[in-house]
Amino acid sequence: MENNASYVLKTRNLKAYYILDDLGKKKTVKAVDDVNLEIRKNEIYGIAGESGCGKTTLMKTLYALLKPPLRLIDGKVLYYRDGEEMDIYALDNEERRKLRWEYIAYIPQGAMSIFNPVLKIKETYRDFLDSHLSGKTRDEIFEIAREHIRQLGLPLKVLDSYPHQLSGGMRQRVAIALAALLKPAVIFADEPTTALDVVVQRGVVQLLNEIQDGLENTIILVTHDMGIHANITDRLAIMYAGKIIEEGNTDEIFDNPLHPYTKYLINSLPRFGDRGSRVSAPGNPPSLANLPGGCSFHPRCPHKMDICEKKIPELNDQGNGHKAACWLLNGGEGKDEGTS
Amino acid sequence: MFVRRYLIPRLLQYFLVIFLGITIVFFIPRFAPTNPVQRTIAELRSRGTYLNPADVEKMVEDLTRLYGLEGSWFEQYIDFWKRLFSGDFGISFFQFPVPVIDLIKNALPWTVGLLFVTTVLSWIIGNIIGGIAGYYNNKRWSRIMDGIVMFIRPIPYYIFALGLLILLAYVYRLFPIAGGHSLGRKPSFTISYILDVLRHAFLPALSLVILGAASWFQTSKLIVQNVNAEDFVQYAQLGGIKERKIMFKYVIRNAMLPQVTNLALSLGQILSGALITEIVFSYPGLGNLLFSAITTGDYNLIMGITALSILAITSLVLIIDLLYPLFDPRIKYK
Ligand SMILES: Nc1ncnc2c1ncn2[C@@H]1O[C@H](COP(=O)(O)OP(=O)(O)OP(=O)(O)O)[C@@H](O)[C@H]1O
Ligand SMILES: [Mg+2]
Repeated sequence: MENNASYVLKTRNLKAYYILDDLGKKKTVKAVDDVNLEIRKNEIYGIAGESGCGKTTLMKTLYALLKPPLRLIDGKVLYYRDGEEMDIYALDNEERRKLRWEYIAYIPQGAMSIFNPVLKIKETYRDFLDSHLSGKTRDEIFEIAREHIRQLGLPLKVLDSYPHQLSGGMRQRVAIALAALLKPAVIFADEPTTALDVVVQRGVVQLLNEIQDGLENTIILVTHDMGIHANITDRLAIMYAGKIIEEGNTDEIFDNPLHPYTKYLINSLPRFGDRGSRVSAPGNPPSLANLPGGCSFHPRCPHKMDICEKKIPELNDQGNGHKAACWLLNGGEGKDEGTS
Repeated sequence: MFVRRYLIPRLLQYFLVIFLGITIVFFIPRFAPTNPVQRTIAELRSRGTYLNPADVEKMVEDLTRLYGLEGSWFEQYIDFWKRLFSGDFGISFFQFPVPVIDLIKNALPWTVGLLFVTTVLSWIIGNIIGGIAGYYNNKRWSRIMDGIVMFIRPIPYYIFALGLLILLAYVYRLFPIAGGHSLGRKPSFTISYILDVLRHAFLPALSLVILGAASWFQTSKLIVQNVNAEDFVQYAQLGGIKERKIMFKYVIRNAMLPQVTNLALSLGQILSGALITEIVFSYPGLGNLLFSAITTGDYNLIMGITALSILAITSLVLIIDLLYPLFDPRIKYK
């Protein structure tokens, strides 16, 4: 057991649902359902899963930026700062505003449209800096921005550009640079490589890596691209239908995936030579508004047993901190059928 | 580059629109069934003036010339343009023989003064309040404002204006009932004259500002709510940017872009006058002038006022087109 000093973020039974009013009928989308995370200092923590499984919602919930219809239903998000535990949902608005960017920063999914279209990038820099540092003149602030851009190896002229004048890759890089601006302890990166071509992707991943090396902080990296997880994450969580169904060291998960869904994800990785043929899980992801009973994966699972339809398996440690939630592993009931 | 690729074609378009607009203004009254010459003579007769047939013939000839109705339509048309370039819109049929341009010159300052101030004022008030109410859409006071505006907006303008007039000028005699200044006063640059003008302008201005601001409020609120859902606003919130900054620099600033265009269009409409306002408050502006021109079939005067409006609107649109890239860097001259 490690003590709290090595952790930066924990969650307890976190639940965040979209509460929708569908023609008078209440509809609940269980996008984050009973999630327990323990994320360490100085690691790249990956979160993987199909589109719509709740990755972005989880990130927003960790960041405590929930807007209706998304609501925190239950649970806690705890940050550890200077040895103190902080419940982000218990902070007042101003404390939470300050926590953002100074201690936790966010790179949103789809960085194409995240910059104010009528402001030059340096103005966006100024707004971020102004809101968190006091007593700096305009010139000092622009100098900080220039220095920061230079350090990260981005061209200085982006500062004088309007967002629409930058390429998608450059915008993504600026978003990453901005997230590192105040040297936060945690950076949330939501699909930073999606919609970029492969060469640009590599640059973006490298930039993230450099930042993490330099700041020795934590990056929580969401992407459905298992290749990127294999390359840079230290630990990995697999998300399915609002739940974490497997978690462990990245190498361990790739070497020995325990959950049938994880196996599909890993098998869907393109290998050298055969870019086209990917084997993904059969069937479609379930609707989070109308989940099947028991294990949500059971309708698509080749090893389905009776219990899978009835009870939700718990996320249990299978040794070495490698956790998985599957009846094949729990209590030995399914062990005979084999999992590899 | 900019001049050849953008400015020259844009200017050509500008002149073409004016040319076509004024051409239409010239021809439309000529298709109307009334003959202004016969009408004037009938008017004189109805007042009991005795006219012998020889005089009538002479009169028809004179009037036809004065009204610019001599010769074929084509000749009249050429003549019309010639006179236009020297600022001559011909002679008013109704207030014969005052030149149209003089009538317009007298009415113009009243209308521009009243409408320019009220248009700009209601734009500013409506947009700022609407913007803030849109940003704090979930707050109670924002809903209450919504309710008030929804109550005011559908009231027909003339009822609203008459209501104000009856209440504040008739029941409580706080403001004068009619006119642009007190009867018999000579315009001068004295405090007391200016106060007199302001007192007379107050009620018409109030009616215009309240209903105008209510309308800007609604559009502005709607636009702000849309901008509020944009990614860049959410990003600013993620970044812990101070709320006031988000509201003004991110939300309202972007929501203003379409409103700038709308303001220019409203300003362009000033020159056709605020017809109903000026009638209700007997305000001596272009709207009243246009109204009497229409009721008396004074088509030189109609043409004069309409031509001026066309000029004003097209010019303002041109100016906005040229200035817009300053407000929105995404727009390029194309
Ligand atoms: N504003 C919303 N209102 C209602 N439902 C929503 C809303 N946003 C997301 N959802 C639903 O919540 C679920 C999780 O969405 P989320 O965006 O977190 O998924 P994701 O894993 O990030 O997907 P992707 O890989 O496509 O980004 C989805 O089923 C989605 O339909
Ligand atoms: Mg997402």
